[in-house]
Amino acid sequence: MLVITRRPGERICLGEDITITVLEVSGSTVRIGIDAPSEVPIYRHEIWLAVKAENEAAANADVTQLPAPAPSSTPS
Amino acid sequence: MQIESTRFGSIEIRDDAVITFPDGLIGLPGTRWALLAQSESAAFYWLHSVDDPAIALPVTNPWLFFSDYEVSVPDEDAGLLNLVSADQADIFCVVRASDRIEEFTINLRGPLVVHAGDRRGRQVINERDYDVRQPLFAHVTLADIRPSQPAAPVAATGI
Repeated sequence: MLVITRRPGERICLGEDITITVLEVSGSTVRIGIDAPSEVPIYRHEIWLAVKAENEAAANADVTQLPAPAPSSTPS
Repeated sequence: MQIESTRFGSIEIRDDAVITFPDGLIGLPGTRWALLAQSESAAFYWLHSVDDPAIALPVTNPWLFFSDYEVSVPDEDAGLLNLVSADQADIFCVVRASDRIEEFTINLRGPLVVHAGDRRGRQVINERDYDVRQPLFAHVTLADIRPSQPAAPVAATGI
């Protein structure tokens, strides 16, 4: 992993289109600004991982029959 | 078009009901998907990959289970889908199924948002802070579910 030290207000470029700005450092929290083309998806990593895990678990469920409500009776 | 599903065998699907997720579903390969169901008014659907015959995920209309559910689509995602108003969107959520119905969960944090007009979709991160693994039958029982219309065009029934 490339490790770079930056101060608030300083930036990092990823290629030509993506700029990451360190906005503020406060205790253990860093506020980061990201300028990127709208087609580049940006996710908080832990949420991305959690959604990925749910998709994979859903696709791997050992189930072929999904439950169906009892044939109705017209709802009242 | 034909899907040779490893789970369900050979299935003929309606080409015009194929949904394209240009950036895929998070963590899964392929961009073309089709909704399969037992009937048009099923409570659950299979979102089956057209590109990979081994991949299918159960999905549902979240409002059948959580009537006060809200989706806030990030502006970037809405822009990529050309969504101007909420009524242009078909929304469904991924379900983690299980042998025991009480163990079913739903991902309310990462809904699938599809532009109803051109059937292009994205899995978005809901700006509302919902759980990725919300117990599905927390508030309702299966008998309470009254599916009326599909969450999005169904490509094949009888599954």
